[in-house]
Amino acid sequence: MRFLLATAAKDLVRRRRDPLALLLWAGIPLAIGGLIFLAFGGDDAGPSGRLLVVDQDNTVLSGLLSGVYQQGPLAEIIEVEAVDLETGRDRIDSGEASGLLIIPDGFGTAVLNSEPFEISLVRNPAQRIVPGIIEESLSLVVESTFYVQRLFDEPLDIIAAVQPVGANIVPDSTVASISVAFNQIVDRAQPYLFPPVIELETKTTGEDEDGLDFARLFFPSMLFMALLFMAQGLSEDIWRERSHGTLRRVIVTPQRVAMFLAGKLLAGAMLMLIVIGLGLVVGRWVFGIDLQGLPIALVWATIAGMMLLAMMVLVQLFASSERAGNILTGAAIFPLAMLGGSFFPFEVMPDWLASVGRYTPNGWALAKLNRVFAGDLAALDLVRAIGFVTLIIVALTWLAMRRIRGRFAHS
Amino acid sequence: MIEVAQLRKEYGDLVAVDDISFTAETGAIFGLLGPNGAGKTTTIGCISGLLEPTAGTVRVRGHDVVRESAQAKASLGVVPQEIALYGDLSAGENVRFWGQAYGLRGAKLRARITDVLEITGLLDRAGDRVDQFSGGMKRRLNFACGIIHEPQVLLLDEPTVGVDPQSRVRLLDLVREQANQGVCVLYTTHYMEEAQSICDRLAIIDHGHVIAQGSLAELQAQMGERDLVRVSGSFDESELHRAFGHDADVEIVTVDDAQATLSVRKASSKLPTLLAALTGAGSEVRDITVSQPSLESLFIKLTGKELRE
Ligand SMILES: Nc1ncnc2c1ncn2[C@@H]1O[C@H](COP(=O)(O)OP(=O)(O)OP(=O)(O)O)[C@@H](O)[C@H]1O
Ligand SMILES: [Mg+2]
Repeated sequence: MRFLLATAAKDLVRRRRDPLALLLWAGIPLAIGGLIFLAFGGDDAGPSGRLLVVDQDNTVLSGLLSGVYQQGPLAEIIEVEAVDLETGRDRIDSGEASGLLIIPDGFGTAVLNSEPFEISLVRNPAQRIVPGIIEESLSLVVESTFYVQRLFDEPLDIIAAVQPVGANIVPDSTVASISVAFNQIVDRAQPYLFPPVIELETKTTGEDEDGLDFARLFFPSMLFMALLFMAQGLSEDIWRERSHGTLRRVIVTPQRVAMFLAGKLLAGAMLMLIVIGLGLVVGRWVFGIDLQGLPIALVWATIAGMMLLAMMVLVQLFASSERAGNILTGAAIFPLAMLGGSFFPFEVMPDWLASVGRYTPNGWALAKLNRVFAGDLAALDLVRAIGFVTLIIVALTWLAMRRIRGRFAHS
Repeated sequence: MIEVAQLRKEYGDLVAVDDISFTAETGAIFGLLGPNGAGKTTTIGCISGLLEPTAGTVRVRGHDVVRESAQAKASLGVVPQEIALYGDLSAGENVRFWGQAYGLRGAKLRARITDVLEITGLLDRAGDRVDQFSGGMKRRLNFACGIIHEPQVLLLDEPTVGVDPQSRVRLLDLVREQANQGVCVLYTTHYMEEAQSICDRLAIIDHGHVIAQGSLAELQAQMGERDLVRVSGSFDESELHRAFGHDADVEIVTVDDAQATLSVRKASSKLPTLLAALTGAGSEVRDITVSQPSLESLFIKLTGKELRE
C-alpha cells in the first residue's frame, strides 16, 4: 500500500513538471465548451488567434489541411490567412500571429503515394493557448493522415497512378472510380467524421433559447471529453516506464507490479479529480449552470475516468510500439467520444445512436453523471455503480499486470 | 550468497545461457567475464527475477528466486546495464523512490538518500533533473539507486561502461567497499583489466557456456607459465604444425595465412629460437608481440578469439 502511494506521488511530481500537457487535455474541452457557451449564450469574444499559411504545394490536399482551421469550432478561434514565405516569417518574427504553417511543395504527392512527408509549424513563443490549440489539432490531422494513408490505400493508389507529378488533369473515368471508392468509405464514416454541426445550429438559432440551457446540456459531455483526452494522454506513460528501464527495475524489487500499476492509476485519478473539480467550479459558479450533487459528481466522474485510464493502459500494453499505441488509443477515443455522448450530448443525437452510445463505458458513466446533476440518482444505484466500476478497474489492472509480466517488460 | 545450478535460458530457438553453474560467496566479488552476447545480462536477469529460467535453479541467500521470489528479491540490489531512472525527476527523487520500493521510510530513508548521493559524488546535484545529467553521472546515480537499501547481495551489470577514468576508479572502490562490508557482489564486465583488478573469483563465459572458472590465481595457473605470442606475416599452416608438433614448450592456439597465435613457455628467453623455427617452417614474420599470462591470454587460449572483437 505504501508503495502504491509512493508510486502515485512520484507520478504526480513528474506530471507537475509538464503542466502544458495537462492544460491541453483539460483546455480543449474547456475551450470547446466555452465556445459553445459563447456561441449560444454570451456575446463576449473568446480566445482568438491568427494562423499564417504558406502553401507552396497548392494542391487540393494542402488546401484541405489549412481548411481544417476554417471549419467547426476551430474556425471560431483561428483566423487563417494565406501569405508567402517571406511575409509569413517576417510577421511571425514580429509576433503578429499565433502560428505559421508551411506546407512544402510535394506534400500532396507524398500523401497520395503514402510516402513520409514533412510540414512545419512555427509557433509564436509569446503565446501559449492558441499556438497550443493549433499544434494539437495539426498533430491530430497529421496522425489521421498517416492513418488514412493506410485505410484508403486503394483509392490513393488510383490517384497516384494516373496523376503525374504536378499535373492537375485527371481523366473523367478515373474521377468516377475514385469517387465511388471514396464515397463508399465516406458513407460508412460519415456519422463519425462529420458530426451534425450545421444541423445543430439551425435547430437552435430559431428558438429563442437561453444560452444557459445549452451550457447545461453540453457541460457533462465536455467533462467526459476531458476525461477521455486525459486517459489517452496519461496511458502513454507506460511506454515511458518501459523505455526508461524503470518498469524492469520495478519488477526486480520485492513489490508487486499490480501495486505499481494501481499507483499510476491513482495518480491519474488525482489529476482527473483536479480537472473535474475545476470544471465543476467553473461550470457552477462562473457560468452559473444549475448542477446538483457536486461532491458526488466529482467522485463519480473521477472513478469513471480511472476506469477509462485503465482501459487505455491495457490498449497501450497490447500495441506493438509506442506509436501504434498512440494511434490505437487515439482511434479508440474519437468513436467513444462521438458515440458516448462525450462530444455531442445524447439529447442532440439521433435516438437510435444515443441508445447504442449509452452502452459505451463513457456513455454509460455519463448517463449516470447526468442523473447525479439532475439529482435523481438513488444512493443504492450509485453505490452499486461504484462497486461495479471498481471491479472493472481491478480486472483491467490484473490483465495489465499479466501482460507486463508476460511480454511487455521484455525485449 | 548466490547459488546458480545448471541454469539455462532460451529465447525461442536461441540458447542465451546454457548450463551455467557457479557460487558467489558472501563478502567477495564474483566476476562474470565475457564478450558481447555471452549471456551475462541474461544470467543476471534470471538471478534478479526479471527473467524466468528455462531450466536450472537460482538461490539467493538460500531462497529459490522462482518459488520464494519475494524473499529472494528483498535481499537483492540490482544495478542494471541499461540506465533505469526517471529523467524528469531529480537525483534525490529517484533514489527516494527506489528506496521506498525496498520499504525504506522516514529518517532512515532520508539518511540513506544523503549517504548514497554523497558516496557517488552527486550530493551537490541532488535537486537537479536527471535528464540534464551527463552519461557518467547517470551511471553513478544508477549505482546509487541499486544500493540505497543496503542489499546483502548486489548484482552489477557492467556498471562502469561510459564512465570517465576517475569516476571509474571511484566506482570500483565503492564496489570493493561493499564486498568488504560483507556484501556478496556479482560483477559482470567485458573488461579484462577490471575483472583482474577487482574480482576474487571469476567465471569466464562465452556463447552461454562457462569456459573457465576459479580464483584469479587458479585461472592464471591454467595458462601455466606460458606467454601468449602473436605473430603476423604469412604462414604455412601444415609446416607450422610439423615444426612445433612435438615441442612441449610451444602450443599453436590459432593459425591462418596472415596470423598465428602461440602459447609458449618462457617466451621472452626463447624468441631467437622461436623466430628461427618459424622461418624454418616457411613463415615470413613481420610483427611479433609477447604478452604475460593474463585473463585475456587465457580467453584467447580457450576460445581462439580475442575478447573484444
Ligand atoms: N529479449 C531477448 N530476446 C531474444 N534474444 C535475446 C534477448 N535478450 C538477449 N538475447 C540474446 O541472448 C544472448 C545473450 O545476451 P545478453 O544480453 O545476456 O549478453 P551479454 O553478455 O549481457 O552481452 P553485452 O556485453 O553486450 O551486454 C544474445 O545472443 C542476445 O541476442
Ligand atoms: Mg549485457
